Amino acid sequence: MKCLVSLPEALWVLLTFVSCLSIVAATDYFERLDLTPLPLGSLLASFEFRSNESLEAYASQDFRYFPRSLGQVLQHAGTKELHLRFTTGRWDTETWGARPWDGTKEGATGVELWAWIESDTEQEAMRKWLTLNQGLSGLFCASMNFIDETRTTKPSLSFQRTGDHRNASLHLLHGVLPGKAGVASLLDGHKVFDASWQSMSVDVRPRCVSGQNCLVEIDQTIDMVLNIARAKRPREDPIPRPVQPYELICDETKPYHSQDTCYPIDALETPAWSLKDVFGRPAAGACPLAEEGGPEAKSLCLNIPHSQGVWIGAGGFEVRSPPGEAEKRCYQMIAGEPFDFDMPKTSVRTHKQIELEEELITAERTMTGHGAAKGGMRTVFTNPSATEPVNLVLFESLPWFLRPFMHTLKAQIVESEFPFEWEIIKDLYYRPAVDRRRGTQIEVVLSIPPASVVMVTYDFDKAILRYTEYPPDANRGFIVAPAVVRILDKADASGNAKAIYLRTTSLLLALPTPDFSMPYNVIILTSTVMALAFGSIFNILIRRFVAFDEVPENKIGKLVKSARLRVATLKEKITGTKADKTE
Amino acid sequence: MAPQPKTIAAYVAAVVLRLSIFYFFPNIISVLIDRVEISTPISSYKRLLEGLFLFERGVSPYDGGVFHQAPLLLVIFEILPPAAIFTLLDVLNAHNLTVIANKLRLPTPRFQKLDETQIATAYLFNPFTILSCLGSSTTLVTNAAVIQAVASAAAGNAFGAMFAIALGTYLSLYPALLLPPLILYWAQSKAAKLETKNTLSLLSLYAGMIAILLLVSTLLVGDLKNFISSCYGAQISVTDLTPNIGLWWYFFIEIFDAFRSFFIGVFWIHLVGYVGALTVRLPEQPLFVIIALLGLVTIFKPYPSTSDVSLYLGVLPLYKHVMPLTRYTFLAASVLLYSSLLGPAFYQIWIYAGSGNANFFYAITLVWSLGLSMLVGDSLFAVLRDEWEMLRPEMRGKEVRQI
Repeated sequence: MKCLVSLPEALWVLLTFVSCLSIVAATDYFERLDLTPLPLGSLLASFEFRSNESLEAYASQDFRYFPRSLGQVLQHAGTKELHLRFTTGRWDTETWGARPWDGTKEGATGVELWAWIESDTEQEAMRKWLTLNQGLSGLFCASMNFIDETRTTKPSLSFQRTGDHRNASLHLLHGVLPGKAGVASLLDGHKVFDASWQSMSVDVRPRCVSGQNCLVEIDQTIDMVLNIARAKRPREDPIPRPVQPYELICDETKPYHSQDTCYPIDALETPAWSLKDVFGRPAAGACPLAEEGGPEAKSLCLNIPHSQGVWIGAGGFEVRSPPGEAEKRCYQMIAGEPFDFDMPKTSVRTHKQIELEEELITAERTMTGHGAAKGGMRTVFTNPSATEPVNLVLFESLPWFLRPFMHTLKAQIVESEFPFEWEIIKDLYYRPAVDRRRGTQIEVVLSIPPASVVMVTYDFDKAILRYTEYPPDANRGFIVAPAVVRILDKADASGNAKAIYLRTTSLLLALPTPDFSMPYNVIILTSTVMALAFGSIFNILIRRFVAFDEVPENKIGKLVKSARLRVATLKEKITGTKADKTE
Repeated sequence: MAPQPKTIAAYVAAVVLRLSIFYFFPNIISVLIDRVEISTPISSYKRLLEGLFLFERGVSPYDGGVFHQAPLLLVIFEILPPAAIFTLLDVLNAHNLTVIANKLRLPTPRFQKLDETQIATAYLFNPFTILSCLGSSTTLVTNAAVIQAVASAAAGNAFGAMFAIALGTYLSLYPALLLPPLILYWAQSKAAKLETKNTLSLLSLYAGMIAILLLVSTLLVGDLKNFISSCYGAQISVTDLTPNIGLWWYFFIEIFDAFRSFFIGVFWIHLVGYVGALTVRLPEQPLFVIIALLGLVTIFKPYPSTSDVSLYLGVLPLYKHVMPLTRYTFLAASVLLYSSLLGPAFYQIWIYAGSGNANFFYAITLVWSLGLSMLVGDSLFAVLRDEWEMLRPEMRGKEVRQI
């Protein structure tokens, strides 16, 4: 690939571009980094960069805080609201707790994109959508041009507009490109992105304050879970080496602990770290564009209990949140002064950990059955709450060569402490696939009773494709995009409706494969069988019957006859002379 | 004519066998429904259920890639239980075969009056018939229409014959190929001379029936364009390449994209080409033309299944008097037996065990097609020889040649 600017670079370039230019109202730009230590020596780093442009300036292409290249693509494709996600890895709910941003800034493994496109007809919307994909594909150096009609759906229940729109003729289109090249390759070589899980998002939406003062807002986030020990490896010697036996820290309370048996407890300890250790360099100081005072100015926050000590360097002030449930401390940096802090080593046993928020529901999606001809899809939802049922929308976008049978769709409670009858499937929106033209779209509204495990299953057939439609590594299988789960009816602290999303892992679908070396052989063999049938039947049909002795002699017959005669006479001669000799 | 008590006993035995497996061994049924040898994309019962599911919820079943069957089937299966439909259709087919057998009179001295019980039993207890019935292949409805058409033609009932063949055409297209010999057969059994006038009236009757069926379907699903392209388009252009026992699927997986349309055309022309040739060569025996065409369709149609074979093997005994004149029946029977046993095994090792590849199953479909074409060709030879012996009775039992 010839692309040199990777997505993260693109983002950084974008930001420096912003921070080097004109002077405007400080509220037009906002940035923030949240650091949350997670169990088992991990660290969640959430970057957020947000900037605004007034609608008039955006329309007249007077871009100051909005990247020009992206703005032009969006205007060309008539896109009013855009949500783009690059995600890789799996968020480990059991260890890490609830997802950052309630899952709203996270995508399916691979690339996920949804946008509201202004157009009068569906065909025009689709055309603009393809234009948009191709434009973004070039901009972000990802193969998003492969998001074609078969990978595009029009969700009706799962995604909602987050911006303020005036025009009603907007078409929502959603596309996923599971596991394609793009993110993983883009991140190669970047220490920062050597993460266990990471997600990048770009959201563009119009916002109107009091219906008059309209802005176009671009919000970019990068979330990643870093392994501190791995991030701390020196850059010049990144190869991990086994810990020497004398360096091992063993759990001596284990009954089997002895001279030669060790239960290592290093995972229980988070090593000491600083910004320089984790990101390769200290923070460069406050951004001159960001606000200088007020709560938004504190652009670096640490989510740790107040009881934990941190040594901060010169170049920043610490501001602690009031003691309470979610204790955190933020740092206001001074422009132009590098800032860093040292986080001492912490242990699960000696330090109070920050309470992880529990996920409202967990979802796992797997394929069942064996063999390459058919299978089943199974999604298991676990509602940990003892009292609250969870209503959700399960959104699946399936490739056309996976043919689900909706009459086999079943939801059953696998285990439950909830004693009453419960109607699980509330509603179903289904748009079947058309071969080679369109993928399947399934949206199921489900209600999961409290303290229960619910299993949603359906059967499917796997289509066999034309041999040119298989990728070069056909037997590896095809990646099926993750399901999106949107939790309904949840409100935030102030009572407003709150969107909570989570996504399952992507799946690998093995299709039956033909023999790829056979095209000529198959053409020849099948044609031979047809020719044999055709030949023998028409041979029988067009010839007439005669008795065996009435068959007129043909030339070859005559030749054979004369040759036979000659051989016979020759034989006679030889045997005759032989006979003479013996006499 | 009422069936003989023996025949009725055969019907009852067949019904008991089928219904008891339907109700007491549902596992066998669910296995058979998924077999590619029985269920093709255009006859699969599972796909019918999916279509029914969508239809009952007001969604057009044709706006998708799964359902390719005619809307009338939706209505039938919405009302009646499937086990009853399939069992009854099998018995109806057997009964119509006995009607044809009882009416059949051939001028050849070899012909003896057929035993209706034999004909019914040969159809009802043929393993292919039983498997297709239990595997709930909806091709059975087409088969019933075809047999009904032949039986009506044998009775000289023009309306019944044209309605049944129109229904068959509406369900799976290929019965349209049987129209010329069917009209001849009707004329023969009515002892009427076939003139342009009554041929045209029969054809317009047929076209009218088709139009009515399409109209009713449009009223049912309200989606004529999608229905035509999904139901007939899929059958003509072979969009779904799910393996079956025919010759098309692997060929069109492997064919180069540039030649796909060309070869689809060639394959269809090849199949259609037999109609004219057989009808012209055997104008005196239109019933045998129908039988031979059914055999050829079984080999060369895009989505053949055991259900089509059961139809061919059901009508073939009507010409059992030519059996002594055949040459390769043992070979053909062995090949068919061999491939019907190895076919499922090779499919298993390709799809489930992974120890073989697609070529294994493909090779068996080739052998199967060869075996069937041997049977068709051989029976055709026997019938032609029988015709020739009627001209030259002294040639009976003598060695012959074709030049």
